[in-house]
Amino acid sequence: MNDIERMLADLNEVPPLELEGRTIFEAGAADLVARIDSPFGLLWIAWSKRGITALTPTFASRTIGEFAEHHRRISYRAQAIPRLMAAEIEDALETGDSSALAFDLTGLTGFQRSVLEVCATIRPGTVRPYGWIAQEVRRSGAARAVGTALARNPIPLLIPCHRVVRSDGSVGSYAFGSAMKRELLERENAPLPLSQS
Amino acid sequence: MRERDVSEDVEIQRALIKDRDAGFTMLVHTFQPGIYSGVRRMTNGHADAEEIAQDTFLRAYRALAGYEKERIRTLQLRAWLWTIALNLCRNRASRSAPESPKPSITAESTHDEIPLDAAAWNRRLDRLSPHQRAAVVLRHIVDLPIADIAAISGRPEGTVKADISRGLNRLRDSMEAEAVR
Repeated sequence: MNDIERMLADLNEVPPLELEGRTIFEAGAADLVARIDSPFGLLWIAWSKRGITALTPTFASRTIGEFAEHHRRISYRAQAIPRLMAAEIEDALETGDSSALAFDLTGLTGFQRSVLEVCATIRPGTVRPYGWIAQEVRRSGAARAVGTALARNPIPLLIPCHRVVRSDGSVGSYAFGSAMKRELLERENAPLPLSQS
Repeated sequence: MRERDVSEDVEIQRALIKDRDAGFTMLVHTFQPGIYSGVRRMTNGHADAEEIAQDTFLRAYRALAGYEKERIRTLQLRAWLWTIALNLCRNRASRSAPESPKPSITAESTHDEIPLDAAAWNRRLDRLSPHQRAAVVLRHIVDLPIADIAAISGRPEGTVKADISRGLNRLRDSMEAEAVR
């Protein structure tokens, strides 16, 4: 190898840091993840080209590594959430109305998707029993399965699984604890179930 | 000479067959730096290089969706990606030529992150014919074998060798002229 060939061989240029993640995101093969501040503290938000894929409070996943471990899709850290999406998320968290947001529920089963899509229609200030969702997805009798699907809701707060309660009037379980579920419902002036559990 | 591990290709091909998204992530992670580095020396702006380095993989991803397992298994990944990248470089060149003036070293130097040396090399490479430039970059910067370059560029091996030889001579002439100045 002569001098000029050696110089050419050394002419390596490193791509910008974000190019890999941006390329995989643009293909639709991965999500981007960034943090956003909210009335519920800092939240991790993941999104694909189709919409929001996950929301996790930082008290549940402290680091992006912890978040990625539980996220169903490959994800890359982004500097920030796109401005319009951030404004829509802030607005939805403030008002409880997520209708302006697009969600991407790919990677979930058809049943899970149906349950979450019905759940997303429950308006702020109202509650529905698990059995109601089961009926809406034409699986009456599958209230327990509905509960399981809601417990795995990847986009809590924005897909308001906290508005689904037990038919006996109790609040029921919640991924972040029954106390938080009750607080969320109080915040929305929802007709609160009497029981504390 | 930099050697590539063939088992890496096999691992990525298996991943692509099993889960296209996971395999694609490996494909980008493994090959995009090399594609970017080569494309950077075939185009005259970092924005063009970024766009082509991204588009190459987006096209590859879409193509993979229609490929049978057997086709993926026999793909020469690096050469395949370079075939896509080189086409994109040619399309870009034909769109911008002949009206656009040859970029000067001053234009390159406006990007803080570009070392002067790299800008000088782009200026020298810009004096080669498109075939010579592609052949020199693929052989001596990307480190592809002559046979792969012939397949990628659709030119006989002998012609590729001649392109490389003439290209190197012209680069040498440019450097000598700079030294005299």
